[in-house]
Amino acid sequence: MSTLKKLQHDFVAMLQGQNTTFTEHIAKQNGLSTAQRGEIYQNAYQIRLKKVLEQDHEMLGLYLGDELFDHMVEEYLSQYPSRSASLREFGDRIPQLLKSSPRFKEHGILAEIALFERLLLHAFDAADSPTLQLAHLQSIEQSAWPNIVFQLHDSVQLLSCEYSAVESWQALKNGGSPPSPNQGGLRHWIVARAPDKRTGFYPLSQCHFQCLTSIEKGLPFGFVCEAAANVVGDQQQGTLQVMQLLQQGIELGWFIASPQGSQ
Amino acid sequence: MKNTPPPFVGFGLGLRTCYFEEILDTEPNVDWFEIISENYFVSGGKPWHYLSQIKERYPIVMHGVSMSIGSTSDVNFDYLAKLKKTIERVQPLWVSDHLCFSSLGEFNSHDLLPMPYTEESLDHLSQRLSIVQDYLQRPLILENVSSYLTYEVSEMSEWAFLAELHKRTQCQFLLDINNIYVSARNHDFAPQEFIDAIPESAIAQIHLAGHSDFGSHIIDTHDQPICDEVWQLFEQFAKARMPVNTMIERDDNFPSFKEIMAELEQARGLAPASWSKHEYA
Ligand SMILES: [Fe+2]
Repeated sequence: MSTLKKLQHDFVAMLQGQNTTFTEHIAKQNGLSTAQRGEIYQNAYQIRLKKVLEQDHEMLGLYLGDELFDHMVEEYLSQYPSRSASLREFGDRIPQLLKSSPRFKEHGILAEIALFERLLLHAFDAADSPTLQLAHLQSIEQSAWPNIVFQLHDSVQLLSCEYSAVESWQALKNGGSPPSPNQGGLRHWIVARAPDKRTGFYPLSQCHFQCLTSIEKGLPFGFVCEAAANVVGDQQQGTLQVMQLLQQGIELGWFIASPQGSQ
Repeated sequence: MKNTPPPFVGFGLGLRTCYFEEILDTEPNVDWFEIISENYFVSGGKPWHYLSQIKERYPIVMHGVSMSIGSTSDVNFDYLAKLKKTIERVQPLWVSDHLCFSSLGEFNSHDLLPMPYTEESLDHLSQRLSIVQDYLQRPLILENVSSYLTYEVSEMSEWAFLAELHKRTQCQFLLDINNIYVSARNHDFAPQEFIDAIPESAIAQIHLAGHSDFGSHIIDTHDQPICDEVWQLFEQFAKARMPVNTMIERDDNFPSFKEIMAELEQARGLAPASWSKHEYA
């Protein structure tokens, strides 16, 4: 191994707390000791990444409290060191850690809160594209409707929660205390960036969730209506539900322009 | 690759999210803005929404923090592809990153780790620079980093290293005067000696920033106002040299936009009349 390679290898190992011989590379100077000079880098590494997780997961931090959050950061840094050039993606595997770590996995709400916060971040800088407008739909021939394929905007994310993750996040955000984690059943949410670039989230009925899942899978309007009818138990009611969803989605920028099959 | 300093366009500011709206609302007297390249590797959303409006009114330059040009791992072409795509979209006046390494293999430290100042590093950096510049089809300007340690193996001073790298590759530097001051304090050398060693033909841009002083050492935090010593170094530099594009760099603990503008005006005020951009327009 070249001198440069070895030095870089030892430096990186030191940052991750795996190498104590890195100080041998450091020149002795007046003032700080070689060990102290190495520690400045090690501390900066930990502080920087902890700060990223604190910023990305503010409400998770409040939910856990400082001590548990610090434990989480410590576990995360040792198990999931950063592999991306962008700090934006550094915390992407936090939900994974919370689901698998013996310390946290018993509390399913933690991974859900973390995932919700990741989706908000994703919505913030997802790709821009022109959104579907009412006028697009008005120009579609009646006979073409069953085959139209709607496409979700890149910022749109669907989330199903077993626990009161979103409600807890909201309560903490408003300075209150979170409700009980158990909410007695699955609840569905949509996270998306609105046309004014603000990130928002909205509760979804079981029916609307099924519709959006069908749209996400690339199924045409006819199938989406069928999925809705299956949930509400009535064809006409189902179609009405889909039309309501389309209206809400158009207002909030959930679909991209020119659905396929509409030309 | 023809590497000469970019033309003098004046005094710039680091473009940060918290100032987006004020910049658009007030159209301040700033000659150009510098963006952090990696913040625009994302596809859309707020950062791009604002940048596309600001870049219609001001020239933009790009400054990266993650290229890790000094790394001994394979060149990260995936990173370079994203950078190139962003360059095409932004159309910046020039592009810079740091003379350091920050990643090794898959691991990314997100820090600017110093290189040893050796013949081996000179060879390595010369080679890397040529690969990167060929790929980007444009010069890459390199910034000197702050450091808290020096290496046993180093064979020359940081400034001798920079001067030699320039001689071999004609590469340009973004001289961060604060970083020079921070390293000078941490390693007990005279900052002026560093600055004097860098030839005119090698300086593309100046950064002025603040740091945190812990007495025994200083940490380059970029979260404080620029200190008197750094202002003095800049003033001497400006008196002695041809105009260089100069920028106020603040990365944290953001003050009001008015305060940042006051620092920009202070820099303008310290530079001699020959640094007025109109003479070079
Ligand atoms: Fe800098």
